[in-house]
Amino acid sequence: MRKHLEDIHVDEEENEINLTPMLDVVFIMLIFFIVTASFIKEAGIDVNRPDAPMTESKPEDANILVTIDANDDIWIERRIIDPRAVRANIERLHAENPEGSVVIQANKSSSNKALVQVMDSARLAGVYNISIADSR
Amino acid sequence: MSRKKLLQAEEEENEINLTPMLDVVFIMLIFFIVTATFIKEAGIQVERPDTFTADTQDDAAILIAISPNDEIWIDRQERDPRAVRGIIERLHAENPKGSIVIQADEGSTHETLVIVMEAAKAAGVTNVAIASDNQ
Repeated sequence: MRKHLEDIHVDEEENEINLTPMLDVVFIMLIFFIVTASFIKEAGIDVNRPDAPMTESKPEDANILVTIDANDDIWIERRIIDPRAVRANIERLHAENPEGSVVIQANKSSSNKALVQVMDSARLAGVYNISIADSR
Repeated sequence: MSRKKLLQAEEEENEINLTPMLDVVFIMLIFFIVTATFIKEAGIQVERPDTFTADTQDDAAILIAISPNDEIWIDRQERDPRAVRGIIERLHAENPKGSIVIQADEGSTHETLVIVMEAAKAAGVTNVAIASDNQ
């Protein structure tokens, strides 16, 4: 009787699934996903494209127009503005017309540094609705 | 004989129970599979403009770099401006929720930036941002 019970016990142990190979596979998958997990955090400024018909139907003077010419000079209301004064100018125009968004018209050969500077100034002035006008 | 069996039984009881560790490993595995986002890196380093108000772009999936010489780099290769749209379409199909971040060098021209933004718009990606360094 006792001998018989022990036999069954041994049988059961041999029928147990060996987990070691699965553990190996799972660990290798785990290592793969940890290694390939890229936690890239890119900082940036969102751009609104004036593609909605709403934006285009707005009267021209409802927006704050900022022009950048080929020499990276910034023009607001037909005057060249110092890059450090852009924020104050946009703040003033925004106070006059709180609904308006900032539209940037940049020359084809102007540098992107000037463009991003103007966008940053507009955001500092509290205008987060910034569009880049189609030059073509 | 009976003493030998007793020893064996003791040894088996001393074996470490792997089940809780397996549970933990599986949960970690599922976490990493779910959070895995395969960002397409541009492949070159650019001098980003300095800003004060940049937001972190959490859902960035495609990085497009514009070098100071107005070359467009996507997915570690320099691309022809006319091919940018097709490439964006293909990469966007792989990860439809992801947005595009354009890493434009300080010295690159507006023309190239507009080409890339037009291509993104034509490819149906509305969420476009320009990379910058926060001061």
